[in-house]
Amino acid sequence: MADADSKSSPAHDYSLLPKLIPNLDRHLVFPLLNFLEEETPDDEDITYITRMKYGLLKQTNMSDFVGDLYAQLNDQSERPQEYTQKREDALAKRAQYEEETEKIMALLDDADVVNNLRSDKAANQKYLEETHGVTLDMVNKLYDYGQFQYSCGDYNMAGDLLYRFRILSSDNDKVNAASWGKLASDILTTNWESALDEVLKMKDTIDARLFSNPLAQLQHRAWLAHWALFPMFNHEPAREQLTELFFSQTYINSIQTSCPWILRYLAAAVITNRNRPGKGGFAYGNYQKQLKDLVRIVRQEQYEYNDPVTQFIKALYVDFDFEEAQKCLTQADGILRSDFFLVSLSESFLDAARHLISESYCKIHQRIDIKDLSTRLGLSADEGEKWIVNLIRDTRVDAKIDYKAGTVIMNHPPISVYQQVIERTKGGFFRTQVLSAAVAR
Amino acid sequence: MSRFFHGSDSESSSSDEEFDVNDPAAEDSEAESSEEDSDAGSGDDSSSDSDEATGANKFLKSSDDESESGSDEEKVTIVKSARDKRFDELEAIIRLIENAQRISDWSVINDQYDKMNRQIPVLVRDLDGKPPKMYVKTIADLETSVSEAFEKQKVTPKKMNPIAQKGMNALRQKIKKNNRDYATELTAFREDPDAFMKEDVVEEVVVAPKKTKSKSALLSQNPDNIEGGDDGFTMVGAGGKAMIYTPESILKHLRSIVESRGRKNTDRLEQIRIMERLFDVAVSDYQRVRVLLSLISTRFDLNSGTGAEMNKEQWKLAQQGIATLLEILEADHDMIVVPEGAEEWEDDDKQPTITPGELFKIPGNVVAFVERLDDELNRNLQNLDPHTAEYVERLTDEGVLYANILRCLIYSERLKADKRIELSQANVNQIVIRRLEHVYFKPAQVVTIMEENTWRAIPETLDSTITPRSQSNDVSTLVETLCGYLFQNDAGISRARAMLCQCYHSALHDQYFKARDMMLMSHLQETITSFDISTQILYNRTLTQVGLCAFRAGLIYECQNSLQEICGSQRQKELLAQGLQMQRYSQITPEQERMERQRQLPFHMHINLELLECVYLTCSMLLEIPLLAQVGSSPDVRKRVISKSYRRMLEYHERQIFTGPPENTRDHVMLASKALAAGLWKHAAELITSIKIWELIPNKDGIITMLAAQIQEEGLRTYLFTYAPFYDTLSVSKLAGMFELSENKITAIVSKMIHHEELAAALDQVNSAIIFRKGVELSRLQSLALTLSDKASNLIESNERVLEQRTQGTSNAFERQPQRGGRGGRGGRGRGGGRGAQGAPHRGGGGFTGGALGNAIRAQ
Repeated sequence: MADADSKSSPAHDYSLLPKLIPNLDRHLVFPLLNFLEEETPDDEDITYITRMKYGLLKQTNMSDFVGDLYAQLNDQSERPQEYTQKREDALAKRAQYEEETEKIMALLDDADVVNNLRSDKAANQKYLEETHGVTLDMVNKLYDYGQFQYSCGDYNMAGDLLYRFRILSSDNDKVNAASWGKLASDILTTNWESALDEVLKMKDTIDARLFSNPLAQLQHRAWLAHWALFPMFNHEPAREQLTELFFSQTYINSIQTSCPWILRYLAAAVITNRNRPGKGGFAYGNYQKQLKDLVRIVRQEQYEYNDPVTQFIKALYVDFDFEEAQKCLTQADGILRSDFFLVSLSESFLDAARHLISESYCKIHQRIDIKDLSTRLGLSADEGEKWIVNLIRDTRVDAKIDYKAGTVIMNHPPISVYQQVIERTKGGFFRTQVLSAAVAR
Repeated sequence: MSRFFHGSDSESSSSDEEFDVNDPAAEDSEAESSEEDSDAGSGDDSSSDSDEATGANKFLKSSDDESESGSDEEKVTIVKSARDKRFDELEAIIRLIENAQRISDWSVINDQYDKMNRQIPVLVRDLDGKPPKMYVKTIADLETSVSEAFEKQKVTPKKMNPIAQKGMNALRQKIKKNNRDYATELTAFREDPDAFMKEDVVEEVVVAPKKTKSKSALLSQNPDNIEGGDDGFTMVGAGGKAMIYTPESILKHLRSIVESRGRKNTDRLEQIRIMERLFDVAVSDYQRVRVLLSLISTRFDLNSGTGAEMNKEQWKLAQQGIATLLEILEADHDMIVVPEGAEEWEDDDKQPTITPGELFKIPGNVVAFVERLDDELNRNLQNLDPHTAEYVERLTDEGVLYANILRCLIYSERLKADKRIELSQANVNQIVIRRLEHVYFKPAQVVTIMEENTWRAIPETLDSTITPRSQSNDVSTLVETLCGYLFQNDAGISRARAMLCQCYHSALHDQYFKARDMMLMSHLQETITSFDISTQILYNRTLTQVGLCAFRAGLIYECQNSLQEICGSQRQKELLAQGLQMQRYSQITPEQERMERQRQLPFHMHINLELLECVYLTCSMLLEIPLLAQVGSSPDVRKRVISKSYRRMLEYHERQIFTGPPENTRDHVMLASKALAAGLWKHAAELITSIKIWELIPNKDGIITMLAAQIQEEGLRTYLFTYAPFYDTLSVSKLAGMFELSENKITAIVSKMIHHEELAAALDQVNSAIIFRKGVELSRLQSLALTLSDKASNLIESNERVLEQRTQGTSNAFERQPQRGGRGGRGGRGRGGGRGAQGAPHRGGGGFTGGALGNAIRAQ
């Protein structure tokens, strides 16, 4: 990759771009590169990014843009002739496709026709063929047209076409390809809800269709994990669901085997999940559980993948080295700021991470020096004090500040044995009742 | 009965005799000058050739010819002595029957009759399907006399001796049944007994003198007799003139040798000698290949008993034979040896014409030869004492064997690549796995040297497609390619084996994570019990090696985990096939023991058992001692035992009244455990590091430092667990001084313990001290109450599980409610809780809001 020129900043050392690119579609890579371009300070050379962009899009039909890039690369004022030519070709082709699919498109826009469609694909096909003379060839044209539009950068249209194709076609391979296309289109048009649906649907397809081919399943899951990053970090409601998905046995296995770098995103997602309003006590318990899983996995994969985000997790929960955790947190912040997916999360990540640190710090310590804690959290003394006050208030920790000594005194009441016994036998009666009712039935 | 067996015995002994007869003849000929030899040979050969067709014709004719022609007579005369003996026996029996008949001793007749009938099938075969004349006569006579006696019995009231009576009745039944088979001969006999018997008389006359004559005739190389031999196609003929080896006759000799294969008392050494000579005589590659093929297999046959091992000289010769065979095959691309799909060359007189550019297939299996060679070496090594120079010497033969394997692999690859032949993949796979099994357990340096030598021994022109020559110096790539090849091209057992070999190799070279990941991904731990025993042994070996690798990497927990299964069982020797375990009350039969002996690995493949035990015990100590301290003496103990065998040893050690200074590894570890439990980490570390066997680990110093560090940490943990009740506060710096660890490290360890709720304490940051919480220690009553409540909830849970199984989850209401009731254990596992929500909010999508289309989507 072009960014092999080693920059000293940690953000560059830990850039995942080269690892992400092979798992993404060329169109999906483009936003990443754009982001990289924006991030790069003005005084630095960005030709290599432009070159990458050019290489990326050369194959597509977006000839105008490619031509511009070419011109930019070669210091020409105008885009060369061949691109204009290409453009003409593309336009002609589009006209041709449009003509070919005109009939079927019209049919599908017709409410009467649509109302007659059933959930059975074969029946639909038969119905269309008998009453409207739609051939299989025409349906397949939809697919080709969709692909062409996608290549041209008209993602809305492409998504729409592929969607229609998928309803009508019974060719499994093409439907599968169309699904990927639709997902990409949804992502690129930032239609997150639909993209999330597509991701989940895709997951089912992978489970069902590639059942007998574990290798392909692994590959597809890795792709899906990468593609899902787009909705995951751009669409708030998607995050919870996708985190669940990533933690499901099959996906966590895939991530561990073929793309451990996804762990960074997973870690970020889990840590930031804390701040969102949960559904009562359940959310917090879930959060704890996810965190536990995350710690376990990060620890397992330590030898394969390592970056400040996972190091932070490790320092905090495996080694209990708070200084190290603090160091990692600063680094991680830098990384988050320079990561396409995580840039929007960096603030809340920092916040949540601080919470985690202080939570676990308070759990372990009885008397804490405020100044010390503030440095551990990366805050000034005043800010630290405020932070602690907020913490005490929010989490209802049993603690008091000794202002004179500048310390916080935590009170950890031991759990009473009696309380424990009561807890353990709490549901017993109810459960036995249910049990006896079930037996009686 | 005994005579019957005796008869068959005599047959074999007689054939033995024949060889003895041949031998001097052959040696005689050898003594003769060579040119004379070839002269006589060619002359004789041509004569026999010309004779052959007619001979065959005659043979065919005579078989269904009823009248006894001269030639048939001739054939009878050269009958082997075994046959003569049989006839003698028959005669003797008949004489007995006749005698008994005279005194009406029916029981004797009955016995003898049975005996005679038993002989008959063999005699019939000798006479080309005809029963002997005298036999026919006897049974005809018997039939009449029996019926006469029977009639007489009816008339005369005089009682017969009951035994005789019984014998006669039985005989009568048998005769009735038996005579039906010989109806034609009997009628012929009855019609004209004299004429029928005349030939018989002639035969009898002939048989007697010829018996001696045939031997002498052979000895004197009577030309007449040789002709007769040719006619008869008997073994004697081929062996008798074995001294004449010409290129033309090679195939015929070979055929006769091949036909004698597997028979009793064939002198294989002699055959080998013959074939060696044949090989020298052979002119064309075809002949050489044919001779070699049978020569090599005869060498392997030399000692075919299950227990017997091949002797060293024969092994070497066989190895050279295979090398020559491969050389010939490498040079001549038109001729190939394939295990299947090749026609046997039937015509012994003609040479097949091999046209260049066209394939000529010879049946045979080179891969099987190489495999056999490998097995034999292995068996040899098993039976040698590993501490002798002989063993080492024998081990050096592995080099040539490896070269053979490699060449065979190259050859198989060539065949596989050739479109004209459909070589089964299994063949190549077999040889690949053989090669792999010679490589996987060796350190890289050794393999590199072996590879280098092997490639040097092989002509420059040869190269392997699977493992190119250029790659040969990188051992891990070599192992990887071999395994990769097997993964792609094989299914089932050798795939599993390849996987295990690769794991083993990675583990041996300190790539712990790679080995572990592969081991886990193979999912073999679930299916290994259904594999054959040798694969299970390989699995055990791999597991052990992975464990040792983890130890070298300082991963104590992982190491203990993977060694647990092997070392915890007290059957390491058996599980790793490194020697027989002497069991006091063993139930195994000698048969099983023999099988087990065969499975043993040769010494150079062994994993050092003492080192293994030492590693296992040390790891167990590091894990068990803190655990024991933590659990203490409280009754509610989660009775978690990590290593039963370690606990047993520890208990045994504690029961001893006097403990002397440590002598063996086990003593060292046990004493160290005691010291560690008492908080004397330094003493423990000293004891552990003074164990001699660490010398065997390559990176000894690193290991010792690692162990010392581990002992420090675990010592700290043990100390805190043991002495926490006696402290109110404890300063970190004091601990740091005691355990010679940095304060940060102490804090980290203590923090970890507090966080995992192992230690009821908190840190005081200001004074840098540990403050132990009071009142955490439970009274006996309290802890018992906790245990009781635990048990109660377990009971409910197991009840629920039982019901669940019974109803197979049909009672849904029941299934949901307890979860709401807050069942911790179950809810934690069910990660799919949120999954139900996924499908629910489904958008119509796009411009399609039609209800029908919406349905279509949902159906997808």
